[in-house]
Amino acid sequence: MIKHLLKLVWNRKRINFLITVEIFFSFLVVFAVLVFAVYYTDNYRQPLGFNYENVWSVTLDMKSASTPGSRESDKQQQFATIKNMLAGLREFSEVESAAGIWGIPYWSGDWTGDREINGKGKDFEIGFNEATDEVKDVLGLNIVRGRWFGKEDDGATNYRPVVINQLMARTFFGDEDPIGKDISNPKDKERVEQRVIGVVDDFRKGGEFSAKRGYVFHRNDLASEKVSPPRSLIIKVRPGVTAAFEEKILARLQAEARDWSFDIKPLAQMREANFQEYLVPMAAFGLIAGFLLIMVGLGLTGVLWQSVTQRTKEIGLRRAKGATRRRIYRQILGELFIITTIGLLAGVLVVVQFPLLNFMGFANSRVYAISAAISLALVYLLTTICGLYPSRLATRVQPAEALHYE
Amino acid sequence: MLKNYLKIAFKVFLRRKFFTFISLFAISFTLVVLMVAVSFLDHVFGAQPPETKLDRTIGVFHLQMKSPDDNNTWSSPGGYKFFDRYARNLPGVEIMSLLTDTFDGGKVYSYLDGNKIESYLKHTDGEFWRIMEFTFLEGGPFTSDDEKNANFVAVINEATRKKFFDGQSALGRTLEVDGQRFRVVGVVANVPYLRTIPFADIWVPISTMKTQAYKNQLLGGFNALFLARSKADFPMIKEEFQSRLKQVEFDDPKEYNRMIGYAETLFEFMSRPLTNSRQEEPAKVGRALATIFIIMILFMLLPAINLVNINISRIMERASEIGVRKAFGASSWTLVGQFIVENVLLSLIGGAIGFVLSRFVLRAITESGFFPYADFQLNYRVFLYGLAVAVFFGLMSGVYPAWKMSRLHPADALKGVAR
Amino acid sequence: MTSQATASTTSANGAQTSTANMIQLEGIEKVYRTDRIETVALSDINLSVRAGEFISIMGPSGSGKSTLLNVIGLLDVPTGGKVSVNSKPVTSYGDKHLARVRNEEIGFVFQTFHLINDLSVVDNVEIPLLYRKGLSGAERRKLALRALDRVGLHARVHHFPSQLSGGQQQRVAIARAIVGNPRILLADEPTGNLDSQMGDEIMGVLKGLNDDGATIVMVTHDPRQSEKTERIVRLFDGRQVS
Repeated sequence: MIKHLLKLVWNRKRINFLITVEIFFSFLVVFAVLVFAVYYTDNYRQPLGFNYENVWSVTLDMKSASTPGSRESDKQQQFATIKNMLAGLREFSEVESAAGIWGIPYWSGDWTGDREINGKGKDFEIGFNEATDEVKDVLGLNIVRGRWFGKEDDGATNYRPVVINQLMARTFFGDEDPIGKDISNPKDKERVEQRVIGVVDDFRKGGEFSAKRGYVFHRNDLASEKVSPPRSLIIKVRPGVTAAFEEKILARLQAEARDWSFDIKPLAQMREANFQEYLVPMAAFGLIAGFLLIMVGLGLTGVLWQSVTQRTKEIGLRRAKGATRRRIYRQILGELFIITTIGLLAGVLVVVQFPLLNFMGFANSRVYAISAAISLALVYLLTTICGLYPSRLATRVQPAEALHYE
Repeated sequence: MLKNYLKIAFKVFLRRKFFTFISLFAISFTLVVLMVAVSFLDHVFGAQPPETKLDRTIGVFHLQMKSPDDNNTWSSPGGYKFFDRYARNLPGVEIMSLLTDTFDGGKVYSYLDGNKIESYLKHTDGEFWRIMEFTFLEGGPFTSDDEKNANFVAVINEATRKKFFDGQSALGRTLEVDGQRFRVVGVVANVPYLRTIPFADIWVPISTMKTQAYKNQLLGGFNALFLARSKADFPMIKEEFQSRLKQVEFDDPKEYNRMIGYAETLFEFMSRPLTNSRQEEPAKVGRALATIFIIMILFMLLPAINLVNINISRIMERASEIGVRKAFGASSWTLVGQFIVENVLLSLIGGAIGFVLSRFVLRAITESGFFPYADFQLNYRVFLYGLAVAVFFGLMSGVYPAWKMSRLHPADALKGVAR
Repeated sequence: MTSQATASTTSANGAQTSTANMIQLEGIEKVYRTDRIETVALSDINLSVRAGEFISIMGPSGSGKSTLLNVIGLLDVPTGGKVSVNSKPVTSYGDKHLARVRNEEIGFVFQTFHLINDLSVVDNVEIPLLYRKGLSGAERRKLALRALDRVGLHARVHHFPSQLSGGQQQRVAIARAIVGNPRILLADEPTGNLDSQMGDEIMGVLKGLNDDGATIVMVTHDPRQSEKTERIVRLFDGRQVS
């Protein structure tokens, strides 16, 4: 039966070729959109590693000539101002805790570096941040091993204490206990020991849709030469505090530094903006892909319909020779299935190259595989739906109709 | 003859409603996507008020400093000191203006009766108002003297006037922004958010900045715009700018000793990520345009194959009609003509539907408020692009089937044999 | 009347001598070539049809009668031999020129009518006139209605073909064939899809047209109908047997 169908498909290759091409491209379109969708969904289901609720951020604009290598005395002045600000903020009854941090969650700015995993020769991109001791409380970081920064780290002069996330610990140390290990870059000429003192959950600064990656917190003690003034303050406010409180915060901060500017925003609001940045383009592309599929589906139905009408004689003949309705139905759908499979095979061959060429390199092979599987299912579903009506039409052909034609 | 073709075409459309619907759906949907994309590009890059002299304007939107060993790079919008000292009096430049990058720390807050008002603030000079042609609803721009004397004056947009003054006349009245008080001297029509160069809610003189630190910065926060006497002077200006970069005296040459940047159009600047061209090399506009073009073609590929498929089906279904027409004296070319007329007509109808739908979609995007002050318009330029695309579609999807059909032998066609 | 027609052995300069010949075929050969197989559909056919003659072509299925009719009607190009229509040697004509000859000199009637279902009766009849220059819409309409009148169908001009009976459809097809006033009428089994009563009616219409001066070539396998023609050409396996 299959051989017979293949022969039919081959003999009508010119007409079938275009359908195959159409299915091939449809598959690619669906796949491209799905890779993003699957990737984002996959990320979204991972734990975030911090709590954004009731956290407000205040981004500081110090308006200074803060070029790298700016004078040390300027920096010490800024540290003093920020310490005063944090102290002032903590005095408010609305504030649970306040901290200073280089990069707030959901902010698009990033600080990254490559680290070679011990002896494996492969670079691993990790994110960095610089945080004061209170960041753990403000962001509700969950310590799974060791501890977070604290006063006891003040005495650390010949090393820098760091807290890493679980992925980082797993990648670099496997099952070993990472506490006390050095994670400084061996390629760094003036390297200072970076001693792991704790491990947190898989903190993802980029938010729900960003990928999990290794992460390192440095301690910002607001004093030493090695650190710079935090870019932002983050404040945990008590539940129920309204936006009106912003004005009070602003007045308090402005009192400490007349010429600075402040950008106050709840993290929840930044999260929303961050979601939009991911979802709006996604929705737009999804919508376009959806319409493309509807269009292809309608076109396919039309083509199949016409092809059945044109083959009335052949179908009538088959009926006259004893083919049942069911067989005719299966024959038409079977042919369609073969054409679809050829188009999809070509599509899969192309898609398999993607991980090898590192095209759409953000996704791992699992995401590729899931996306490809869903795309295959979707296209098969689409072609089957398109084939239903025309094949039903074919079963209505009476054997006698074969005789109407010469 | 044409009248007849049209008459037959309409009859065929009405009798073959399903095929007509599929074709119209494909054409109009494709057009909507293309038109929205084109009008988006036009909205961002097209010459429209206040940037009416865009064809003569180039700017410097990004600079980089490199360390002697090339290991450290500091990239940022340029600094006031750099532009003031090294970019003035370029040959061929009629007017030069400095302005802060609205999206780099330009967001400011005001508190009015306990409500927080968010605005975008741009610091600029008197020349800015001579390069741009803003529509003033009342008052006028501030001047170079205002800039020189650090007068606390502001030009605000219509939306800001509504927020602060309830839409009443704002001339001479003051508003507090980011802890500073400004007197309003002019009100302009809203500038779309996506017009990244002129966009702001409030424009004030550079000298009113909270500190004067900007005067000592080689990098940080500023864009420069150059209005050339004519487009032909661009190469000369670009070249002279490169030589100026070599004259920069660095604060600490051991830390940074090289400055990299380009005088370029906004499109050149924005196209960099598209072509992966690094900051160290000039933008590749040709390649960027080619990339956009290829993306559009790729997008149109699927609808086009779909239409060709549908058209072949439509024509093969009418094999017997073709045979009859040939038997009664239609030449191959006459029939090719008939089918192309049919397709072009169908495309035009699809195009018309596409236009109407595009209007709806653009209206919806405009009203969603996702891009503040956006007003996506189907202007006549976009309209013509769309029309051209529709006809192109009709020809593209009609020529192959028509050619195939014309090779059909009348005797075969009559038998209904279509291979 | 049946006449025992001999294949007219035309001399080499027959084109000049027999000016009265409406259709002249000399040494016609038609070979179909598909990928591997060669099929000889017609072989050395020589035939002359005089103006005003009504002949029929007979033969079993697959004997090449339809192919012969298609060659006469310039719908198919022979692989060898010469075709002249109204003394014009059309063998060398290009597509455009052939189309004009078909349009002006020839009218076709098919077994399965081949009416365009998307067009009304009168629009179907107008088709040959569409490809003729210098006719206004009103003139076309007038000629089409007159042709329908001649075949006895004037009531249903705005119906669509699917709303008509087989006999009525064939009348429409004949009206379409004669609307341009061609001198030659080619009919391919015009009664094949009709019952005998309707078939007789259609034969009557054709006979009437022949009496008015039309040259008619009809393919049929129904001896009852062929007996009504003046001459019978018999084909067997692509060869002329009588």
